[in-house]
Amino acid sequence: MSKVVVDAMAMQRALTRITYEIIERNKGVENVVILGIKTRGVYLAQRIANRLQQLENVVVPVGELDVTAYRDDISAEDRAKELSAGVISAESGFTIENKKVVLVDDVLYTGRTIRAAMSAVMDLGRPKSISLAVLVDRGHRELPIRADFVGKNIPSAQSERIKVSVSEIDGHDDVEIVHKSDRK
Amino acid sequence: MAIDLTTIHKVLIIGAGPTNIGHETELDDATVQTLTVLKKMGIQVLLIDNNPFSVALEETQPSNRFIQPVTTDNVQHIIEREQPEALIPSLGGILAIRITQELLENGVLADNQVQLLGMPKTTLNQINNPTLMNETLTRLNEPHIETEVVSTSDDALTIGMQIGYPLIVKPIASHYDANRVICDSPEDLYEAVQLGFSQSRFHQCSLEKSIVGYKEVEMVAVRDSANTRVLIDSIENVDSIGIHSGDSILVSPAQTLTDREYQRLRDATFKIAQALNIEGALHVQFALEPQVENYFITKISPYNNRGMALAARTTGYPVALVAANLIMGVTLPDIKLPQNYAKQTALMEPTPDHIVVRLPLWPFQDVPDADEHLDTVMKSVGGTVGVGRSLEEAILKGVRSSQFSPRDVLPSVSGIDDNELISQLIHPLANRVLVLIEALRRGYSVDELAEITRVDGFYFYKLKHLLEIEKRIQDHPMDLETLNVARYYGFGDGMIAGMWNVETEAVRQLAVEGGMHPTYKMIEPTAGEFDEHTTSFYSTFEYENESERLGSETVLVLGRGGNQLGPNTAADYFTTEMLKQLKRSGYRTIMVNTNPNSLSMVPEFSDKQYLDPIQLGDVLNIIDLEQPKMVIVPGNRHFLTRELKKRMTNIHVLPPDQETGLVKPSEVDVSVALFVTDHQVIPVGVIDMLTPGDQHGTAHVTVLRLPAQTQGADDHLVSLAQAMARTHHLRGMVQVLFKKTAEGFEAVGIRPTRLTEIAFLSKATGINWVRMLTRLHVGSINEKELARIKVNLHPDRIALMAGEFPFRQLRTINRPGTSAQEAGAALIFGSADRLGQDILADADAFKSLMNPTI
Amino acid sequence: MAERYLILEDGSSYRGEGFGAEATTTGELIYNTNLTGYQEVVTNQIYHNQIIIFSQPSIGNTGISHDAYESILPTAKGMVVRDVTNFSVDRSRRLTLDTYLKQHNIPGISGIDTRHLIRKLRDAGPMNGSIVAVDDAHAFDQLHATVLTNRQVAAVATPKPYPNPGTGYNVVVIDFGLKNGLLRQLSERRCNVTVVPWDTTAENILNLDPDGVILSSGPGSPMDLPQSVLEMIQVVEERIPLFAIGLGHELFGLANGANVVPLDAEYHGSSHPIRRIITNDIVFASQGQGYAVEAKSINRERLITTYVDLINGTVQGLRHRDFPAFSVQFFPDGGPGPDDNRDLFDEFMEIMGSREG
Repeated sequence: MSKVVVDAMAMQRALTRITYEIIERNKGVENVVILGIKTRGVYLAQRIANRLQQLENVVVPVGELDVTAYRDDISAEDRAKELSAGVISAESGFTIENKKVVLVDDVLYTGRTIRAAMSAVMDLGRPKSISLAVLVDRGHRELPIRADFVGKNIPSAQSERIKVSVSEIDGHDDVEIVHKSDRK
Repeated sequence: MAIDLTTIHKVLIIGAGPTNIGHETELDDATVQTLTVLKKMGIQVLLIDNNPFSVALEETQPSNRFIQPVTTDNVQHIIEREQPEALIPSLGGILAIRITQELLENGVLADNQVQLLGMPKTTLNQINNPTLMNETLTRLNEPHIETEVVSTSDDALTIGMQIGYPLIVKPIASHYDANRVICDSPEDLYEAVQLGFSQSRFHQCSLEKSIVGYKEVEMVAVRDSANTRVLIDSIENVDSIGIHSGDSILVSPAQTLTDREYQRLRDATFKIAQALNIEGALHVQFALEPQVENYFITKISPYNNRGMALAARTTGYPVALVAANLIMGVTLPDIKLPQNYAKQTALMEPTPDHIVVRLPLWPFQDVPDADEHLDTVMKSVGGTVGVGRSLEEAILKGVRSSQFSPRDVLPSVSGIDDNELISQLIHPLANRVLVLIEALRRGYSVDELAEITRVDGFYFYKLKHLLEIEKRIQDHPMDLETLNVARYYGFGDGMIAGMWNVETEAVRQLAVEGGMHPTYKMIEPTAGEFDEHTTSFYSTFEYENESERLGSETVLVLGRGGNQLGPNTAADYFTTEMLKQLKRSGYRTIMVNTNPNSLSMVPEFSDKQYLDPIQLGDVLNIIDLEQPKMVIVPGNRHFLTRELKKRMTNIHVLPPDQETGLVKPSEVDVSVALFVTDHQVIPVGVIDMLTPGDQHGTAHVTVLRLPAQTQGADDHLVSLAQAMARTHHLRGMVQVLFKKTAEGFEAVGIRPTRLTEIAFLSKATGINWVRMLTRLHVGSINEKELARIKVNLHPDRIALMAGEFPFRQLRTINRPGTSAQEAGAALIFGSADRLGQDILADADAFKSLMNPTI
Repeated sequence: MAERYLILEDGSSYRGEGFGAEATTTGELIYNTNLTGYQEVVTNQIYHNQIIIFSQPSIGNTGISHDAYESILPTAKGMVVRDVTNFSVDRSRRLTLDTYLKQHNIPGISGIDTRHLIRKLRDAGPMNGSIVAVDDAHAFDQLHATVLTNRQVAAVATPKPYPNPGTGYNVVVIDFGLKNGLLRQLSERRCNVTVVPWDTTAENILNLDPDGVILSSGPGSPMDLPQSVLEMIQVVEERIPLFAIGLGHELFGLANGANVVPLDAEYHGSSHPIRRIITNDIVFASQGQGYAVEAKSINRERLITTYVDLINGTVQGLRHRDFPAFSVQFFPDGGPGPDDNRDLFDEFMEIMGSREG
């Protein structure tokens, strides 16, 4: 059993609203950089950046963040391997030094991924600020983390899974609630 | 599915094959416009088609055209040999769609890396497959009629009981278009599925709830690769569901929808266009449940068709031109339209300020054994449109063209008795519109008739108004104010003259004295909001005239109106080729026609178009304005020609009158085609005149073969024919008919060459005889040049053309038809081994030779 | 029906047939190019003072529908059409356009070359006209002497607050001459709505503790309204999510430092492509405007342009940089016209929702 809770149009709207809120909160886009957390966060980050560019006519730098190395359930050996593979990929010249970093992820759940992402960002340099944008906040936080920009709050049971699809890789845009018992 | 244009240099278009019921010249029209766009992009276009009357074939370079039956095998061979990078499936009707589906299934497209243009393969597979289409609609949450698929009669009867009667049966993935049959009983159902299974590629039929009586509305939209969608036009069927949309009276744009209804259908159309990833034009049909705001989607056609042609004609929005750009991945904001359109016209939703009514034309005069009752299977062979600034004006102008009479007087059905009238209201016949008017005349109320006929009361309200005006005309003979009102609502001068018992000239004189002039309005998409300069006009009687005289060196060409059986699609080909030649000869051309599908009305071929009845009064009004140097009248318009000749000198009859000449009632075997001028008689070809059935009279000649294979049909015959032509007054394309006797050949007649044969001869000899004939008429050909023309009378390659008949669609007995019953024709070329034999000996073998798909 | 005349300021006169009320009327001539929805058009309060020329030639075809009014008391000055149909299939009352216009004292004239008038106005610019029984010198004198009121909002907007209760967000609608379509959209989203008069103070609005405030559409020029309205907007936009439509959008522009200018030709229709800038896609909308926010006057430090009409270049949408406040020139509820922009109401709901937590 799965149920679509955010359809394609609602998803577009959420990203649009988050974009405007980013402008509101940062008084423009000067010094803003966007970091998308792999995998789907990257596509969402790119879409937000495209919107900012449409509105402000400036290119907002976008980076992809792979937080595997910073997860708290990874061995030291794997961590070293992951670190050498690179944590961030972006155009050359991309820097977070003294920037207003907006982290983008699809779902905010326990907060552990975001904690890892923040560690990764701090290792890369010293940003002016870090804020967080998520498409879905589903609750059940295990760390004291809160999103600054939320597409949709979806209170969910732990037995449920939130499935975000983006057209770039899934062929369509939506958010579904899937009961775990049906998971294949 | 963004296409990288730079990778595409060669594109294959699958043509539609011979014209027949369900597809006339509209596909050829769209193909021609697509060719223009693609050529401008520098793309090489390959075209396969076997329609001898195709203008698109004429517009394609010989090395790029494949005159072959349009079959999966033939298309596959072309793909394998020519290696086009992409294929356009949307220009050849349902035939091209089916072939493309098969090429996807058998892997030919993938193996040869041929891209599909205009839609993804998942969409292509859904066309004509209600099961797949319904899955999509379910996913979109769009209402549709649930269908059940059956493959045995037993299943059909069981499910039929569940659905309840009446229900509709349709073959799945059928070879033909739109074979929906309404079944009122298990007996009907049994019969329908038997037929349906045989027409289905998968031996399956779909069964669904009947929605007979619902209002049918069609929407035409375009969509680009960036998902920009523009609603082009809405088309309303005056007849409710139960009568095929091709047989219904159509009104464009729709007139009886509230804004809410209209917007919901627009939304649904856009949703479908997006879900199906259409890059091009889309036509969606809806059924609206009466009284409640429910609708169902009944058909989705992402390929060129009649509806799109009508939308283009109505709105002035160049649908085919825009669709061709979209197919190639150009987005709507980037489309460059010809300069006469205001900027961004492709991106604006058209908002016409006139109404177009399309009336069907019937084959029943030529096929008298066909059942005239209208139902879900299309029977009409063409249509005519009337354009006006009120529904009254549009419908009356349409009726005057569809219920054609030389003097522009409407036929009467006052002879039928009341029982018969009721019966015809419930079970409509071909004379539908006249019966609706007659019922009002007999005092039935608007509400009663709306109830009985399921036609929106609005239309009866309007027809009733026309009767009131008619009464006023009858009561006020030769009254200027009455004439004003009558013309304002679309009454023709001939009709008014008839009611007043005077000559048309007297009516016109009254108008002139009263200072009453027609006003021509431009057909353009913005309702006057922008300064558009499209070239199409229609007449009305209002305040401002927008049409100015085109110039001094003009030719006014009168069309033949809507398509009918017989030589008509050939006539359209003829007229178009003639227009091209007139342009080359330095004239600017003005076309008058009422056929919405006609190529002659495409701005590419004529400089100016009038969408007006081809009746004396209307034509004289145009002549008064345009003062053309020359008028060309089609040969079948004797009264009109006579009347025009009384008034002006430079009148030419083209295509030639087919009823002149001298022909003995006799059998005929061979003809010699000649091009005759005052000084020369040039042999064009010797043709076998073949008659597939038992009757061998000239009327039954429906198969032509060049060069003739009949024994003894040699140069001696040519000399005989030339001698005969020299003594005869006929000029231009002339044929001498011969019958084979024990002693040799007997000349049995001389007459103008048939239109179909002129097209055939052009394709077979490689010389465009329409253009030659046109040049002869306008005097742009000299004898010296003619003397140099030598036609090879003995080509190695044999050309064969066979008429196509509408008997299957009309559900009459299949038999060898007459030339007057032809709906189109197929053309092939081949060696003497293949085509030189007694090819008619086996009817089935002949059929599969000409058109192996059917 | 009686012979009547449409006379224009430029001295021209057109003979036609009267329908609707028999009154003499004078108003500003504008044209509407929508294909459908004459009922929604004639009941839209933005047409106060105006005589509407319809480009769709056949008007009245479906009568008057019980559920398609855009106001209770229509105030358009007249209808000019090519052809009128006195027919209806709506429920049992079957109210026709002719009867409806008689009930509301709105005159109409049919049999007019509306295409000619549109082409004329397109080139000549705004003009007043009258529908009269006799087109004599006196009628022209009257036409020239008529001064149309500029207190249009006061004439059409509600003088007293009224509720449209719901269980959802608490929304205050400031009525400048609203369209029922706005209330329909809010009802569909279950909002608890209070409609308040156009001159309600910011304090009184805030006292209602709204989750969101809507500035409605309405007739006339925004410059005809007092400065206090702009001050109200300046206070409210800083505190409460704000959504402004039509005249409301023009006021929102003015309140944030932009100019509003009259258009050379009023635009009423739904055939123009409009670019939604943030997603770079194209929508169509129900448009009706005689004024526009002047693009070059927009202070980019304060406002972002969000929608642009690709045909006449007019600004069709704005958003405040610092507050959740946005506006559109067109009617997002359609009526008549496309539904393409209805999700702006959803966006507004979501903005109100995102402020909750």
